[in-house]
Amino acid sequence: MSTTMKIWGSFIFILLLMCFFTFIGSSFDFDYLIPNRLLRLSTIILGSICLAVSAILFQTIVGNRILSPSIMGYESVYLLWQALLLFMLGAHGLTILNISGNFIISIAIMLIYSWALHYWLLPRCKNNIYMLLLFGLVLTTVLATFTQFIQLSISPGEFSIFQGLSYTSFNRSKPETLISGGVVVTICLWMGRKTLPVLDVMSLGREQSMSLGVDHPKYIRLYLALIAVLVAVSTSLIGPTGFMGIFIANIAYALAGSNKHKAVIPIAFAVSLIIFLVAQLFVEHIFNYKTSVSILVNLVCGIYFLALIVRTRGTA
Amino acid sequence: MITVQNLNKVYGTKSVLTDISLTFPTAGITSLIGPNGAGKSTLLMIIAKLLEPSSGHVSFNSRQISDIKTAEYAHRVATLRQSPGFNLRLTVEELISFGRFPYSRGHLTQDDKKIIEESIEFLDLQHLRNSYLDELSGGQRQMAFLAMTIAQKTDVLLLDEPLNNLDMRHAVQIMQALRRLCDEQGRTVLLVIHDINFAANYSDHIIALKNGTLKFNGTSEQVITETNLKSLYELDFEIIRSKHGCLCNYFNL
Amino acid sequence: MILRLSILFMVLCIASLTIGVQQLAWSDLLDGSKDAWLTLTASRIPRLIALILTGIGLSISGVILQHIVRNKFVEPATSGGLDAAKLGLLISLTMLPEANTSTKMIFAMLFCLAASLIFIAIINRIEFKNTVLIPVLGLMYGSVLSSIAEFYAYKNNILQSMQGWLLGDFSRVVQEHYELIYIILPVIILAYLYAHRFTVLGMGEEMSSSLGLGYASTAAIGLILVAITVSASVITVGTIPFVGLVIPNLVALKYGENLSRTLPIVALGGACLLILCDILGRLVIYPFEVPIGLTAGGVGGVMFLILILRGIK
Repeated sequence: MSTTMKIWGSFIFILLLMCFFTFIGSSFDFDYLIPNRLLRLSTIILGSICLAVSAILFQTIVGNRILSPSIMGYESVYLLWQALLLFMLGAHGLTILNISGNFIISIAIMLIYSWALHYWLLPRCKNNIYMLLLFGLVLTTVLATFTQFIQLSISPGEFSIFQGLSYTSFNRSKPETLISGGVVVTICLWMGRKTLPVLDVMSLGREQSMSLGVDHPKYIRLYLALIAVLVAVSTSLIGPTGFMGIFIANIAYALAGSNKHKAVIPIAFAVSLIIFLVAQLFVEHIFNYKTSVSILVNLVCGIYFLALIVRTRGTA
Repeated sequence: MITVQNLNKVYGTKSVLTDISLTFPTAGITSLIGPNGAGKSTLLMIIAKLLEPSSGHVSFNSRQISDIKTAEYAHRVATLRQSPGFNLRLTVEELISFGRFPYSRGHLTQDDKKIIEESIEFLDLQHLRNSYLDELSGGQRQMAFLAMTIAQKTDVLLLDEPLNNLDMRHAVQIMQALRRLCDEQGRTVLLVIHDINFAANYSDHIIALKNGTLKFNGTSEQVITETNLKSLYELDFEIIRSKHGCLCNYFNL
Repeated sequence: MILRLSILFMVLCIASLTIGVQQLAWSDLLDGSKDAWLTLTASRIPRLIALILTGIGLSISGVILQHIVRNKFVEPATSGGLDAAKLGLLISLTMLPEANTSTKMIFAMLFCLAASLIFIAIINRIEFKNTVLIPVLGLMYGSVLSSIAEFYAYKNNILQSMQGWLLGDFSRVVQEHYELIYIILPVIILAYLYAHRFTVLGMGEEMSSSLGLGYASTAAIGLILVAITVSASVITVGTIPFVGLVIPNLVALKYGENLSRTLPIVALGGACLLILCDILGRLVIYPFEVPIGLTAGGVGGVMFLILILRGIK
């Protein structure tokens, strides 16, 4: 099968899947059910883009395939920050700040975090990627603990309500957030679009890419910023994604059979889209809401990640 | 022409390079030798713009390299670090085409393809062009990386221990290729090398460092003497010269 | 040093007894006020005992696991044991809703034991042993077990309540609802008796065999002790991560790893940490209480991060 055929084949498959997702069992209820599903579908599409691009970018600049922004605590930082905002300003304070204000501050926080990670932690763990991974896993747990703690301080007793924040779900986004997120992501992708070949070179490592004339520090700054924005958007839309980023990135590299980012990023996006759609379909129509996307994804991706580590030990 | 002036490099309180000033000759192979910790690789990395000196200047054709943009510098100077530590699944040809990145920024032209072809032929890598890097032996890998550096078409090549962990045949192949690169194409090769015999037999010029200071600087014949090597390595040497070259023996003396 | 630690321990105990929503003044106790005595005997003392036993039990479990796996970053939360106990408890709850506490505990214990055995089997198959790879694997393994538990709980509509009661919390420890925790007491005694053997175990299979120690049987005893402690604490108070990791490491840094000498320090340290976290949890958003799962998870987690960074140097 030729490459173009494969591309068209998967394109049509995804299209069919999306139609299926929108119309199955809807009895063409255009007043409520279908608009609602379309909103969910757009959330999934935008979330998938953010997740795929941020995971691939992160892996390239860190130079390792068993890390992802969510493992390294990006999403937990975002959630902790949201809880802190709610704690400091209260619910109506948050509305005063409005969506864009919150978004800008959140991105600033994410940027600070990624700088700290990249310029402070990464140089210390250069020789031991598992150390970095362990640090990320524990940090994620600790930050989640703090988040729960703050939520508890906001509303003692109504503890479990707030735990909803810590799950992947496609039902929380509103049209406004979706649109503003979509605009931001489009701008980001447009900015990053021309630098795809640079990414290919950067996967050769800092020294090799500088020797090939890439202004490495400049591009690291650019990509860290892009990752911060994308993670902020995806976390606000669909919540934390756990091991999903690692899963889709590795599957994408295996499917692409090439290291060119031009090929890998769209494939990662497609993989993510398919997984989310299938998981959501399973939850809605097979498990009848007896399970959640978050649990399904965590289970599958967690087992995959475990297997991946057992397999790649020693080489990473 | 590369010139360094009063170069110092300090890590914390440890001084790695102390007040190095010299001019590197153009065309031909120049070897940087010296015991472990002499600062050879550090000096090479500063010239490559991969490390910032603590003080002092490096100039390239009388321009300070700190004023030259990375992208422009990559047209002039190519660097190959010892065993680049990534495990990407790339074919040899894909790797070599990265050498054209400074010119094409990822979109290969006919010219680029021709140059890639030339580099492959130059190192006789035709039979390996579609093999993946992780399937190659250490020597073949090193040849592939060298081909990438050659395809960069720079006047100057900086190589950090290119013979590290190679068997004798591959080491000789690489040194002969570098020799041809200088003799046929007039390029300048600057390399850090541990094996004193390879340095003595293939270089035009040798620069010796010890404890971060410049110890000797001259043609191969000038530097490779028993007294010089003894003071450099703190070992007794016996240098046996023949019509095929010279042999620096430091065993059983 | 033991002396200083003991004094700290006593001070913490007294503080723990006096702090709480129900004001408790010593004068009332001396006057023989009934309310005051009831608060003390029905709530404060059981809680303190539960705290001490859990603290000692968890830190000792950590130490034992660390010697069996020979990795300083291993403890029930980083080897799947804690999550397996949760899963076992959950399954016993849904399959045998009528079961009494000891049946539930046996379920939790068996799951914990099985999970630890599987974990050890996995890491024994990996020849290349990177010190930090093992806890990474353990955390991953635990999160997979946790997802299975969540999947199961969600299906049975008890996810919300499960998260509620599985988060370590001593506030529900009152008279007649915590006595299971006393099972940790014999575990502690056995651990003391076996302390020397566990130290030898930590030198590896070959070394312990040449010193005449039955490696497999000693390791099995250790794992059973750990499983009992973990399951008892999960059932009575919920999950408390990282205590078993932080305390033994801090002690090992200062006093070495000869268990027969350091075990009392480890035990006291674990008890002190838990009491401290408990007091913290009771004061921070007074008059409400922060579950100890959060305070200990936060304090222990931060200390764990510091330990990892120290390990990098």
